[in-house]
Amino acid sequence: MKSRAFKDNLSGYAFISPFIIGFTAFTVVPMLISLYLSFTNYDLFTTPKWIGLANYKEMFFGDEKFWKSLSVTFYYVLAGVPLRLMFALFVAMLLNQSRKGIGIYRVLFYLPSIIGGSVAVAIMWRNIFGNDGVINALLFFMGIDKKILWYQDPTSALWTLILLAVWQFGSSMLIFLAGLKNIPPTFYEAASVDGASAAHKFFKITLPLLSPIIFFNLVMQTISAFMTFTPAYIISKGEGGPLDGTLLYPLYLFQKAFNFFQMGYASAMAWVMLIIVGLTTLILFKTSSLWVYYESKED
Amino acid sequence: MKKILVLALSLFMVTAFSGCSSTSSNDSGGDDGNEKVTLRFAWWGGQPRHDYTTKVIEMYEKENPNVNIEPEFANWDDYWKKLAPQAAANQLPDIIQMDMAYLSQYGEKGQLEDLTPYLENGTIDTSNIPENNISGGKIKDHLYGLPAGMNVLSVISNDQLLKDAGIEINSQTWTWEDYEKVALQLQEKLGIYGSNGMHPPDVFFPYYLRTQGERFYKEDGTGLAYTDDQLFVDYFERQLRLINGKASPTPDEQAQIKGMEDDFIVKGATGFTWNWSNQYLAFSQLTEAPLTINLPPEQEKESALFLKPSMLFSIPKSSKVKEEAAKFIDYFVNNIEANKIIKGERGVPVSTEVSDAIKSELNESETKIVEYVEAAAQHASEADPPDPIGSAEVMKALKDVSDQILFKQIKPEEGAKKFRDQANEILGRNK
Repeated sequence: MKSRAFKDNLSGYAFISPFIIGFTAFTVVPMLISLYLSFTNYDLFTTPKWIGLANYKEMFFGDEKFWKSLSVTFYYVLAGVPLRLMFALFVAMLLNQSRKGIGIYRVLFYLPSIIGGSVAVAIMWRNIFGNDGVINALLFFMGIDKKILWYQDPTSALWTLILLAVWQFGSSMLIFLAGLKNIPPTFYEAASVDGASAAHKFFKITLPLLSPIIFFNLVMQTISAFMTFTPAYIISKGEGGPLDGTLLYPLYLFQKAFNFFQMGYASAMAWVMLIIVGLTTLILFKTSSLWVYYESKED
Repeated sequence: MKKILVLALSLFMVTAFSGCSSTSSNDSGGDDGNEKVTLRFAWWGGQPRHDYTTKVIEMYEKENPNVNIEPEFANWDDYWKKLAPQAAANQLPDIIQMDMAYLSQYGEKGQLEDLTPYLENGTIDTSNIPENNISGGKIKDHLYGLPAGMNVLSVISNDQLLKDAGIEINSQTWTWEDYEKVALQLQEKLGIYGSNGMHPPDVFFPYYLRTQGERFYKEDGTGLAYTDDQLFVDYFERQLRLINGKASPTPDEQAQIKGMEDDFIVKGATGFTWNWSNQYLAFSQLTEAPLTINLPPEQEKESALFLKPSMLFSIPKSSKVKEEAAKFIDYFVNNIEANKIIKGERGVPVSTEVSDAIKSELNESETKIVEYVEAAAQHASEADPPDPIGSAEVMKALKDVSDQILFKQIKPEEGAKKFRDQANEILGRNK
């Protein structure tokens, strides 16, 4: 009987082994190596030298740019994620109707997310907001003659990145759409009979019933926003400029590793980011009991 | 049935995962001339450089049928970001186009082969290359890179605009004050910039120091050489005056330039632009108005100008085909037919024989560059040693501080101190 069970399990193990092997080789082992490197001085070329906590000490007490990049990243996350979710929910509600050709619209609105964090999109964005780009041309037609240097200006540069993130709202929109479809129409019908306004319906029915979905999207989008790299890298040509206005944390980490040859320091930065993202997610989970409503709990 | 499935799956896994290790069979050997050799050759540059380099590679492959050269080219930024991980993985290309700013980083950290033996055994023929043209690639008697061509700093002017503004300069003797005055005049009379933003600062601030008889890095690379922060303040106050007078672009306007095609000088938006001499060729091709290549201000008194290898060719220690790589470098530097295609685009050829031989092939602009470099060389002093380890970080710090000053977030005095602190901290690690 026992060997039978083993045989049964064997095929199971065989089927999951590609993942197990891949996960070990490309995630677990590199993470452990990076943890080790974070306590060393490693320039990519020579053998790492053990220096204990020096990297972490330098980061917290000696590196102005570390704090700058953290604040830029938090600004990006705090401004970008809520805007993106609001926009996604708004569009999801527009698309949650049975009209002719609605499928085409759903596809079209989802498209920007399929081409996701790609280099091509970032280059396109750079051109749209460029000196002779579409945005400035539009402003010109509207009678604003002065060319605005969007991503060259320290204050507006980060906002071009945030707008790019908002524009790629498709995946959260799709999940919202699925959530909206799950709300029984009878609720709305009953509310209508009681004379509830549209705003009432939204705040009393849609939002509470959608809150688990909002929570899911919030967590996923926050984590991915913390890790944003490609657009900042492309739009600022890898500099994070002007005046470090777009120096997102992962970009600074990359600079440390591959421009300044401080792989040990970069590894330490990566672990600090892991902890920050972990804590943020934990906080989100802790506060979720206050506002996330699970129907199943009432059973 | 299940058994067969498991068997099939494990068979698949074995083949899939062993596939990676079986491809490196024909990498080794290759000195006897008949065996197939594959050389990876990496360089940075713009489209024209890629085009002619590809042609040179084809010529070489035709003459050496056993050699196959795989090009790996990128623009400047991406090039260095790609090279670092390749070095970490022991996968550097067999021939690397190297820059003075990174020579120490790669050379002193044991990534590059000392080329001296290849010079001694004649694989790389240096009989027509003056010692001065080679020494730029040396660090402590090790030749980590063979210069591909020589460059001198220059100020390129748009003659039409200068004529329109009624401005004449004597580039042999003009001073920094003259330069500033001329730039402001161009703005007053024509409403254009007088000069580009002298961007990036890590090229032009060290030159300014040289005109004041000072140096940027200490000889041993453990700190900054200049001690008087007033020099830093003077340099950036002049930049600020030019920006305030609209005679120089602000850093955000400077950041719009995507390639040489939309440079201010090409669009007729500035009278002068600071650049390396080999850039003159591309600019003169792209600009309709006639351009002149001038000596920069105050080069005379301190012999501030210097000949700098525009770029170097290095061979990594990890290469398995060093001899073949050296042969290709020799071809690139010494072959006259090849250099008739290269035409000094990588700087004036280091071999005097080559630079003489290609003169007849050069057009007017190319000839001007060679003449300029020859004229400047007579008055040039010794170049600074290769940038020390950490210079990439120092350059970035200087650029950051420069931006903060020119965006008027901090005063030049504050910037001088800030930069000194940062630079000394970075370079202090070299002690």
